[in-house]
Amino acid sequence: MYRKQVRRRRAVLALLVIGSFVLLTITYGQGSNGIQRGVSTIFSPVQSVASGALKPARDTVNWFDKTFDARGRNSRLHSELEASRRQSVGAAAAMAENAQLRKLLGLHRSGAIPSGYEPVTGEVIARSPTVWYADVTIDVGSGDGVAVNDPVVNGDGLVGAVSAVTGGSAQVELIADGSSAVAAKVVPLGVQGVIKPEVGDPGDLTLDFIDSARDIHRGQVVVTAGWRAQGLASHFPPNLAIGEVTRASPRELEAIGQVHVRPFADLRNLDLVQVLTGGSRG
Amino acid sequence: MILTPKILARLIAVVVLGVILQLSFFSQVAVFHISPDLLPALVVSLGLLGGTMTGAVSGFAVGFLLDCLLVAPLGGGSLVLLVTGYLAGLVRERFEIRSPLVAPLSCMVLTFFVELGFGAVQLMLGGNSNVSSAVVGDLLAQSVFAFFLGWPIYLGLRRLLRPALIEDQALRRPPRATVLGA
Repeated sequence: MYRKQVRRRRAVLALLVIGSFVLLTITYGQGSNGIQRGVSTIFSPVQSVASGALKPARDTVNWFDKTFDARGRNSRLHSELEASRRQSVGAAAAMAENAQLRKLLGLHRSGAIPSGYEPVTGEVIARSPTVWYADVTIDVGSGDGVAVNDPVVNGDGLVGAVSAVTGGSAQVELIADGSSAVAAKVVPLGVQGVIKPEVGDPGDLTLDFIDSARDIHRGQVVVTAGWRAQGLASHFPPNLAIGEVTRASPRELEAIGQVHVRPFADLRNLDLVQVLTGGSRG
Repeated sequence: MILTPKILARLIAVVVLGVILQLSFFSQVAVFHISPDLLPALVVSLGLLGGTMTGAVSGFAVGFLLDCLLVAPLGGGSLVLLVTGYLAGLVRERFEIRSPLVAPLSCMVLTFFVELGFGAVQLMLGGNSNVSSAVVGDLLAQSVFAFFLGWPIYLGLRRLLRPALIEDQALRRPPRATVLGA
C-alpha cells in the first residue's frame, strides 16, 4: 500500500516536471499564447479591481520606504538642486532658441513624444515578483492599439518596451530586465552604444561598446539612438531620454568600453506609463 | 492531507488569492528597496502542511498562474515552485515538525532556493546580462522577508485547512466515555 502511494507520488511529480519542461519548450519565445490570453482575460478585471483597492495600502508602505530613503537623499538633493538651477537657466535659453530653430525648419515636433506615435496611457497592475525579471503588466492591450515592441515611457524617460500583448493587458519588459538591450547615444557627443542592465540593480545600467576615445563624463545625458539601416530599424524612436552617466572611469572605458548610467525613470516604483503606439515598427 | 471538495475549493482560492495579492500588492511595494515575495512562502507552507503531493501540485499551480498573468514563458515558474513545494513536503514527511521555527526557517531557506531557481531558469532561457553584486543582497533580503511572512501564512493556512490535516485529526481528543445510568 505504502509502496503504491510512493510510486503514485513519484509519477505525479515526474508528470509535473515533464509538463513544465514541455510548456517551457512550447511557449518560449512565442509572446502570449491562447492559454495566457484566456487566463489574462479572466483575471485582468480582478487584477484591476485588486490593484485599485490595494493602492492606498501600497502607497502607505511605499510612503514609509520613501521617507526613510528621503532622509538620506535630502542633503545630496540640495546640492544637486543648486546645480540644476544653474543648468535650467541655460536650458531655458536653449529651449527658446530651439523652438525658434524648429519653427524655422518647419518641424512640428513637441520633443516629448516623437512624431508619428500615439501615446496610450496605462496603469501598472502587476509586477514580476522575482529579482531576475524586470517586467510589469499594464492594463492596456491590443484593444487599445498596443503592439509588441512598442516603446514605453513615463514622465521621466524611457521605461522599456512591450514584450507581449493580450486584448486588455500588455507585458512591458523594463530596460532593467536581463534580456533588454537598447541602442543609445550620449548627448551632446553623439557617442553610441547599447544600454544593458545590471541584473538585480535597476538603478544601474551600463552603456557598452562605446568609443573609448571620446570624453564621456559624469552627468551627461543618454538618449535612445533610434538607428535605421538597410530596412532594419530600432524599436525605439530617437532622442527618448534614458538616463545620465553616473560613472565613467577611464580604466573601464579604455578596457571594456563601458560607462554606468542611472535611468531617469524610477523603475522600482512605476505607476502610470505611456505606450508609444503606431510608430514605425522594425 | 484529506482532500474533500471543500478543501480543494479552499486550496484553489488560496492559490488564486495569493497570486493576485502578490502581483497587485507585494510586487508593487518596496520595503528597504525590496519587494517581498509571498508566493514561495505560500507554496512552502502548503507543502509543510500537506506533504509532497500537495506541495508539488500547488507549486505547479501557483507558478502556472503567475506565468499566465505575467505573460511570461509558461513552465519556468511552475518548475521552480513545484520543486520547492515538493522539498517542503519532504521536510514534513521526513521530520517531525515540533518547533514553531521550522515553518519560517523553511520559508526563508526555500525562498532563497526559489530566487536562485528563477535565476537558473533565466540563464536556461538565454539571459546573458551582467549580474550585479546587489542581487545577492536582494536575495538575502527576500529570504529574510520570507521568514517573517512565512509565520503568519503557515498559521493562517493551518487554521484554514485544519479539517484536512491528518495530525490535527489524530491529536483531537477522543469523545469522553460516559457511564450509562450514572
